[in-house]
Amino acid sequence: MNISDCMKRNVISISETATVREAAAIFSKKHIGLLPVVDMDMKVIGVVGLRDLLDLELPDFLRFVADVDFVHDFGAVESTRPSSDILNGSITVLMKNAINVNEDCGLLRAYAMMLQHGLHDIPVVTDEGILVGVASRVDIGTSILTSWSEVN
Amino acid sequence: MTIIATVSTLIFVIALVLIFSERINRTIVAFAGAFLMMVAGVGFGFYDLEHAIASIDFETLGLLLGMMIIVAMLEPTGFFEYLAVLAARASRGDPVRLFVLLGTVTTVLSMFLDNVTTVVLIAPVTLLISEILGVSAIPYLVAEALLSNTGGVATLVGDPPNILIGSAANLSFNDFLTNSLPIVFVTWFAALYLLRYLFRAELSVPPRNAEAVMRLNPGQSLNQPGTAKKILIVLGLAIVMFFVHHILHVEPAFVALGAAAIALIWVQPEIEETLERVEWNVLIFFGSLFVMVGGLVASGVMDVLISFLEGASAIPLIWFGVILIWVVALLSAIVGNIPITVLLIPVIQGLAQDTGLNITPLWWALVFGAGFGGNGTIFGSAANVVVVSLSDKTRTPITAAFWLRRGLPVMLVTCTIASILYTLFYNWF
Repeated sequence: MNISDCMKRNVISISETATVREAAAIFSKKHIGLLPVVDMDMKVIGVVGLRDLLDLELPDFLRFVADVDFVHDFGAVESTRPSSDILNGSITVLMKNAINVNEDCGLLRAYAMMLQHGLHDIPVVTDEGILVGVASRVDIGTSILTSWSEVN
Repeated sequence: MTIIATVSTLIFVIALVLIFSERINRTIVAFAGAFLMMVAGVGFGFYDLEHAIASIDFETLGLLLGMMIIVAMLEPTGFFEYLAVLAARASRGDPVRLFVLLGTVTTVLSMFLDNVTTVVLIAPVTLLISEILGVSAIPYLVAEALLSNTGGVATLVGDPPNILIGSAANLSFNDFLTNSLPIVFVTWFAALYLLRYLFRAELSVPPRNAEAVMRLNPGQSLNQPGTAKKILIVLGLAIVMFFVHHILHVEPAFVALGAAAIALIWVQPEIEETLERVEWNVLIFFGSLFVMVGGLVASGVMDVLISFLEGASAIPLIWFGVILIWVVALLSAIVGNIPITVLLIPVIQGLAQDTGLNITPLWWALVFGAGFGGNGTIFGSAANVVVVSLSDKTRTPITAAFWLRRGLPVMLVTCTIASILYTLFYNWF
């Protein structure tokens, strides 16, 4: 069994010409955690995670204050929104290099790649780099566990 | 000037220019500069390892190290967050009140602890408080650096130039309290009012969520109350010892290192973690500056400077002192107050030896010039550098030009007040 047996094939992706606002709308509507950014030929040129968008809202102090248990109310931070300049700006500003796996990649290798890079979802591509699917940790993990039933 | 004097001056000036340009870390510049000075010294035969070691002021390094170890132990207890949270709650979210309270807390801490450490520990909580209030953190951060610079001038241990001058001129902790504290008291209030005026626009914006600070839990921010108590007791003892160190004939460095030893044995922290928080780069920066300036002395550069000043000392010493305040302040604003203080100490000492003048008032001029001059630019004092580098990692960084618009007026006003009081109470020094 390899990754193409457990990945989701109806992939949601975003064009490199999209704005941050459009990406946010897709995340909310589709309830997903990762959006591959593709060019006109569906080639993956990068990824944007839900976390990259949420980072825009996180307060600066989190970078300097390690323990925030004593802050019982984030106050004004809770209602701080990114500026319209950022929202209307290109999604490529937030884009990160994609860590892809090939469609014939083994499950454990894919899972190890995700652990190593701290990913929750991983794009699956053809030899030419064309996006064909996305697999989550749950997709891969449950497939691995399914194979345990074959053990006597 | 002789060839060796020219070579050593060149090494020192290049190092200062590199520190000013900020292209290379200042500790690396100083360390490499010290090495070059040694190479030149050995090559031309005017300076060697023995002289270099003798020119390091271990008094200063010992006092700094002792205080750094104590603060390194206090840091993880959350005591600084605790104080800032208390200040925030007492302000009830009012920007001006918060401004005054955070400024006061930072100042009082910086009178007994190193400015850099104080600012390093207070600035992150300041950012937190202003973000949950929904106001700009910049006025608070800038004011904390400037007020801790100003307040630090009051005591022997308050800022690095004072430690250097106190050690070189044999001034006691109490000498600072009687000579420097009264002047700092006046200038500090002037600085506070001036900053309040300069930041009037930012401070008049009402917070978007003033109630949030009331839900900060000070008790929870103090995560090791037992340890904090122990270290504060030791720190309190050290401060008492500072008051009487000259009567007991012990040096401040002895007190600070002794206090660090007692705190270490009482708390027994993870020693590697504690020592990691000690600012070794600052100690190496100091050591390297001593070695470089030792080279300048050995090559005879100081004699040139001293004979130049002897010519100038025809003018009354009182005006000489005022001029010194301003020259030191301007130079401190350009390359930072630590190198300038290390450089000028042997010059003033030499002046006393050659002319037999009572130079004590000049030491105080150096204290005021270096202390208040450090406010002018982002390079002026180490505390400024800390605040700016923290703000660089936020969405609203403080630029050098912005600092100049807020810091330079504070420098000019504090130096003017210090000059006036220096002249009025000259006979006191």
